[in-house]
Amino acid sequence: MTYESQKVAIKYFVISAVFFGLQVILGLLLAAKYVWPDPLIGLLPFNTARAIHTNLLVVWLLFGFMGGAYYIVPEESGTELYSTKLANLQFWLLLIGGLVAVIGFLFGWTAGRPLLELPVELKWAIVVIALIFIFNIFMTMIRTKKWTAIQGMLLGGIVMLAVMWLFGIPFFKNLTLDYYYWWWVVHLWVEGAFELIAAAIMAFVLLKLTGVERQVIEKWLYIEVGLVLITGIIGTGHHYYWIGTPEYWLWWGGIFSAMEPLPILFMVFDTLNHVRHRKLEVKNRLALYWAVGCAIFHFIGAGVWGVIHTLPQVNRWTHGTQVTTSHGHMAFFGAYAMLVLTIVYFALPRLKGLEQFNQKKGFWAFWITTTSMMVMGLAFGAAGLIQSYFQRGLGIDFLTVQGFMRPWIIGVFYTGIAFLIGTLVYVLDVIGLATKESS
Amino acid sequence: MEKKAARNFFIWGTVICSAVFIWLTIDTHSTIPKRTNTDKLTDEVVMGKRVWHKYNCNDCHTILGIGAYYAPDMTKVYSSRGDTWLKQFLKNPDSPDPHRRKMPNQKLTDDEINKLIAFLKWVDAIDTNQWPPKPITVAKITGAPLEETAQILKGKNVYNQNRCDLCHRIGGQGGVIGPDLSHIGAKRDTSWLAQLIKNPKSINPVTQMPAYPQLSEDEVQALVSFLAGLK
Repeated sequence: MTYESQKVAIKYFVISAVFFGLQVILGLLLAAKYVWPDPLIGLLPFNTARAIHTNLLVVWLLFGFMGGAYYIVPEESGTELYSTKLANLQFWLLLIGGLVAVIGFLFGWTAGRPLLELPVELKWAIVVIALIFIFNIFMTMIRTKKWTAIQGMLLGGIVMLAVMWLFGIPFFKNLTLDYYYWWWVVHLWVEGAFELIAAAIMAFVLLKLTGVERQVIEKWLYIEVGLVLITGIIGTGHHYYWIGTPEYWLWWGGIFSAMEPLPILFMVFDTLNHVRHRKLEVKNRLALYWAVGCAIFHFIGAGVWGVIHTLPQVNRWTHGTQVTTSHGHMAFFGAYAMLVLTIVYFALPRLKGLEQFNQKKGFWAFWITTTSMMVMGLAFGAAGLIQSYFQRGLGIDFLTVQGFMRPWIIGVFYTGIAFLIGTLVYVLDVIGLATKESS
Repeated sequence: MEKKAARNFFIWGTVICSAVFIWLTIDTHSTIPKRTNTDKLTDEVVMGKRVWHKYNCNDCHTILGIGAYYAPDMTKVYSSRGDTWLKQFLKNPDSPDPHRRKMPNQKLTDDEINKLIAFLKWVDAIDTNQWPPKPITVAKITGAPLEETAQILKGKNVYNQNRCDLCHRIGGQGGVIGPDLSHIGAKRDTSWLAQLIKNPKSINPVTQMPAYPQLSEDEVQALVSFLAGLK
């Protein structure tokens, strides 16, 4: 840590971890509802629990990204943050907003659109919070003497995040147009804005961990993010096959999304390459493990799992089944959850001035969460294949097929318990590090 | 490749692809009126969509294949279930079987139910490029006669209103607790069926099937004609 104001990131990291834990607990409840209908149906019916599960994910990732940005930007720009006060204010607003949303869901205060359940008032509140954040980051960056690609990419990602969010705010009368623009938020976040932010954060971590020249790292940053956007923007079309939009999207979506794994594959190669040609001795092996693991899991979960059911001929049968759940879990964990954990394990010890720290808990969390998520993803995938075959292929009744899938969902539940244990180890580790007296 | 070339690749690639995407979006908009029948998108349908949002239906059900996967897809529910069944079900979705996944009763008003059904009817007609796909095996799954007389139609309504499908299935649709009724007409005669419906225990003392004393003689006869036609 070089700048005092970077310390604001600590509280972002702690809340990010706590919400991660809560999200996983809700996930376990959802799995339990599939297996033994229907625990807690009166208090937390499936739809409410799912809204909380998915929104907590978004919020804890945002806390992680924002904490990461508040750590990275002063160091990249060579200056203190423009305003620590604003960063603190923005933290409390986001925390209160998140809590109000969760409590609101419990009482049925919802916009009723999957993943975008936040009521319109809270959606505008998020816009305000985002503006404060962008303003603070931007005002810090313009003090810089030399603009870097990492700064530009980070700022671009944050602005794109805020702009796409606006498309999720209005009420659409037409369900087809509703989903058309719904994907401008959901898809263009995860395969656009999030990728920009993630790539910038990862480039920064690799730069600091490995000591490879900035020129090389930033060149690859441009190539990879360029490919992500070239394939990803028109790749939105793979969500426009069956929602009432024209048939030509089967071609545009199919061809462009078939190329989507390419940039992710590049990321794996160049991450490994940077690590191999490192100029520094890596002291924080834990952060390195999360970084390399992130690249690999990102490729499996988002790249491979994404591409196999993105072809129209396959998607016709798998669309709207547990195959999507399998892909969703592995992609989000690999691409973004692991990315947040990478920056937390990189930045937190530095913020506390710890040259050395006990990495044992972090490694336990690494191996438990990655292994159990892999198995969980496969179990969801098996359930999804059964569903695609019997329900779509043979036309057997929905609930009857759910019965065939039950053994695999039981598998999801038990790997979910393992995953929760890994998550709790992480949460405790973060709290432990954050509350440690600086040496 | 130099860093500068990489940067140009990034900028121009993004700009060109965004332009193509916006062009496709504009073209898509021009096809929406025909593909989604916007002339039939009445205020009632829009209010039905608001009901759909109000109860957060989409976080259990999928529609157009999007949403949560806990409950069946709603895209074609109007044509597969019909008005009567939907009304009955939305009024009282409780299942008699405690082991079965159940939909909580949302306590919808009649007005809300009508609007919601109007919305589902409109959704049913969206041109989805033939999704959901027809099953590969189009086996003869039910022996229902092609022509439905008034009596048979009435019987079908009795079947739907009393939600027999929670336990029984016809042509793969329905529950697994009771026997499959797809070809019941070939196995049992009308008097046997009538006797069973009125008093299941008189035929099988250990059966789990409840009696239906609330059915009138007329309704029983209609139901029996419907079932007898499944050969």
